[in-house]
Amino acid sequence: MTIAIRFEDVGKRFVVQHQRPFLARELLRSVLQRPSHRQEFWALRNVSFSIEAGESVAILGTNGSGKSTTLALIAQTTPPTEGTITVNGRLGPLLELGAGFHPDLSGYENIYLNASLLGLTRRQVDALLGSIVEYSGIGDFIDAPIQTYSTGMKARLGFAVVAHIDPDILLLDEVLSVGDGQFAQKCEATIRGFQKAGKTLCFVSHNPSQVLALCQRAIWLHGGRVQAIGPAAEVCAGYQRFLDGGALA
Amino acid sequence: MRREDSSSGDRQVGFAIIPPLQVQTFTDIVRYRFVLENLVAKNLKALYRNMALGFFWSILNPLVMAVVLTAVQLKFFGQQAWWPSTFLCALIPYNFFAYCVSGCANSVIGNASLVTKVRFPRQILPIAVIVTNLVHFAIQSTLVVAALLWFPPPHDVVGWHFLWLPVIVALNLALAVGLGLLVAGANVVYRDVQYIVDSVMTVLFWLCPLVYDAGPVLANSPRWQFWLYFLNPLSGLLDSYRAVLFWGRAPDLGVLALATVVIALLGVAGVRSFWKHEHRFADLI
Repeated sequence: MTIAIRFEDVGKRFVVQHQRPFLARELLRSVLQRPSHRQEFWALRNVSFSIEAGESVAILGTNGSGKSTTLALIAQTTPPTEGTITVNGRLGPLLELGAGFHPDLSGYENIYLNASLLGLTRRQVDALLGSIVEYSGIGDFIDAPIQTYSTGMKARLGFAVVAHIDPDILLLDEVLSVGDGQFAQKCEATIRGFQKAGKTLCFVSHNPSQVLALCQRAIWLHGGRVQAIGPAAEVCAGYQRFLDGGALA
Repeated sequence: MRREDSSSGDRQVGFAIIPPLQVQTFTDIVRYRFVLENLVAKNLKALYRNMALGFFWSILNPLVMAVVLTAVQLKFFGQQAWWPSTFLCALIPYNFFAYCVSGCANSVIGNASLVTKVRFPRQILPIAVIVTNLVHFAIQSTLVVAALLWFPPPHDVVGWHFLWLPVIVALNLALAVGLGLLVAGANVVYRDVQYIVDSVMTVLFWLCPLVYDAGPVLANSPRWQFWLYFLNPLSGLLDSYRAVLFWGRAPDLGVLALATVVIALLGVAGVRSFWKHEHRFADLI
């Protein structure tokens, strides 16, 4: 099997600035030789795992455990501070709530912008447009600016674009939890299609039944480190025990 | 994906002023031209929706500026009737420059929702601003032509020296790209760059030869003041535009050469600084 995603000793350090840096203030500070108060923290540290092509893996963890950072690192929107990340295959966008859309543009225009960012040509988008709009089920709102959309509608549109651009690696950050039941079923059917076609799926979820339904393996992150990695059922059970008040193994 | 991992820090290859990898700043734009197209279309939306009205909005600002200043100049300062021509020759290129730099400063932050979600060459964002303003520049240029016909210069201007025009426009564009990249990156790190840029633009309006002609003003000052004045490349460019379009002669070659050198240095600084910080943008936004 080929490796789709590999993390080797990956760490990501963020610098937290309590005030937005201003050029004028920083210059003054360097003149007065005052130290700037900035705080650093590691969102991820010593994280290693690999995901094979065609595998579906869930990432579990409480808020602030590093799930979203992990997805951002896979999506290559941000570089790791240490370690190496290997990604083989065409990446889909990082699908989050309100993913990669421009609030002022209409649904149509956002489809074009989004698809072009993912590497499609105008002709390809023209050909897919009707199908994308239909899939999203957004109807007449497709001409309205995205800022008028509800969270669910944005998730629908984002997922509709991704469903049509055929990425090798699909990254989902809690998007499946916002659509209504009907759309969730549609998403699940699409994801199963992806899985059948041998695509790699990596998603963050808080819904154990969804994880068990879609994934073979799961990674449980805690405090920026891998707490457990293994078959989805085992990891989910361990995570559930922890949520119910159990101690970390 | 280019540049797999920026943590390794060895992106500076070779000793060239712009290392080969930084040339990617421009080659990537060709690969992502459809993205550029979509971004420019977004910026020009008003123009696309209604051609006639878009044209009107584009020329409204410089037109109002020219009318007001002309009224003041002719009424209170007793300028010649051709004053609006000489003013517009400089105002339209100045506007292009100012809109580009100011728009670029906001370009990365204004597209935060894209930058944090998808990996794409970030320089597309400031470049889209510049392409958009090139369209406005072309539209507003009709004002210069109209002014030159309406308020004709004291002598004939058409001639071979017009061949300098593409050179001057190219330098103007290069200056906008260099400074645009510089402030686009800087504004992600320091949020007050936007305000600083806007203030500097106001200062430049009076510092550069727009409402006055540089020649007579500097005629009696020492040589070093002359060169200090033209160290500002925009002054050199605006003076050159006016020389070609209004006075009907070739630009001052010394002034243009100095401007070229400064523009090249700014360009290198812009490309390098953008390249160096680009991978951190998603973290800093």
